[in-house]
Amino acid sequence: MKKVLLLIFSSFGLYARELTGMVPLASQNLGVQNGASRLNSSELVHNILYYQNYGELFTYLQTHWFRLLFAIILIGVVVVFAIHYMIIGAKVFNENCPCVLVYPMFQRVVHWIAAFSFVLIIPTGLIMMFGKYLGGGEFVRISRHIHAIGTVIFIIIFIPLFYIWIREMIISFRDDTKWIFILGGYLNKKHIKVPAGKFNFGQKMWFWMAILGGFVMIVTGGAMYFQDFNFAILNKLNLDQIDLLRISAIAHNFTGMAILALFITHLYMSLFAIKGSLQSMITGYKSVHELKYLHSSYYRKLLTKKFISEDYQED
Amino acid sequence: MSSFARMKFYCDEKRCIDCDGCSVACDEAHELPVGISRRKVILLNEGIEGKEFSTSVACMHCTDAPCEQVCPVNCFYIREDGIVLHDKNICIGCGYCLYACPFGAPQFPTDGAFGTRGVMDKCTMCAGGPEPTNSDAERKLYGQNRIAEGKVPACAAMCSTKALIVGDAQSVSKIYRERIASVGHGVQSAPYGWSKAYGK
Repeated sequence: MKKVLLLIFSSFGLYARELTGMVPLASQNLGVQNGASRLNSSELVHNILYYQNYGELFTYLQTHWFRLLFAIILIGVVVVFAIHYMIIGAKVFNENCPCVLVYPMFQRVVHWIAAFSFVLIIPTGLIMMFGKYLGGGEFVRISRHIHAIGTVIFIIIFIPLFYIWIREMIISFRDDTKWIFILGGYLNKKHIKVPAGKFNFGQKMWFWMAILGGFVMIVTGGAMYFQDFNFAILNKLNLDQIDLLRISAIAHNFTGMAILALFITHLYMSLFAIKGSLQSMITGYKSVHELKYLHSSYYRKLLTKKFISEDYQED
Repeated sequence: MSSFARMKFYCDEKRCIDCDGCSVACDEAHELPVGISRRKVILLNEGIEGKEFSTSVACMHCTDAPCEQVCPVNCFYIREDGIVLHDKNICIGCGYCLYACPFGAPQFPTDGAFGTRGVMDKCTMCAGGPEPTNSDAERKLYGQNRIAEGKVPACAAMCSTKALIVGDAQSVSKIYRERIASVGHGVQSAPYGWSKAYGK
């Protein structure tokens, strides 16, 4: 036994040369090997010389525009919908059955997990954006961590979310162009047959914003979160890491504005504009009456496929 | 604007010999953890004959500091004398100041749980932070406050060739002007006072 151990220990000598070669030299410029940021060591020269690439742009946008635009969107969209609610009001449909199972259990669970992640991510993002009015410090710092935790949940649910609805979310020119021209029929309370499949164009916009925009947010947010990384592809694109971080911050903010606007829209539509909408995502069922008018193409398909036994007649 | 002159660093690249004395002095003076170096010596135009030079870089305490402009929580403040400082109790460690900085000055320790990025750390021109001057809290968060003691920042004090100079802008430019003016006046061949004491 002793001999075996001796053999093992003596064999370490073979690697000693290699190990000594890995000991970093004690130069400040090699700080990266001692755990320092690449940005502040090996890439520092590039950071200084190429500031005008994106550094000035980022500074200009963050100083003058990002906070202002977020405030305009946050207040503007809410005000527009408040006016809509006061003038036009909610659409009310007969919620009594016959009903159709529109969202099976799995879809509802995926939806609510994604919703939970958004509820974590969006307010904490806004808290960071308007942090100076909250005094900064621990509260905003914790918000930053919750922002990251919410993102982990969103990353986990991202692929299921994409998978469950991708087929029904593909843009159909026949319905969706008509939907845009009548603005989804939201400008009056009349029960008109809105051209839409299982999802109308508004829902599709939100889906694609959550998926494509969400992907942009994950990538750019991830870059900013990890800050120090080394991708060979960056060199091929002739980008420095600091450039990528600056581009990420710019893209993250602009995409964030679009997501915020549609998120508020989604909240308004589901909670206020269409009565019973929230209920349908809890139970999974939508009344045939609502489907006939708000999702008329889907309703016709259900009729022809005999999922609905007879045409619903309004009283 | 205040009537005070603004405090500035200047590194004379004709004198800098890339010895890293300033960055070691800074690391030691403020007991900075591994991975944080507020001051760095960089080599530019490496290998290009006649153009290669080294210089020392840290926070340049900009007059219109971009970090101060982009900070989402307003943790920066600029002193009357132009030194740009920040409050670590307000900073959230978002990293925006690093993106805005033309000199790569902001540093971020990874000291949180799961190695998350902590609050920003940067050169204070040895002027501490918002905590009471020379208090333990200030020393722990920002390092020494040599300015309050009337001392030159550690990096400039340590610089062996006096390439790195610091002071109010007028004093710095006066020193630089004198250096430029003395160029081409020959090399001193005997110690000062030699001819007076011993004759030629």
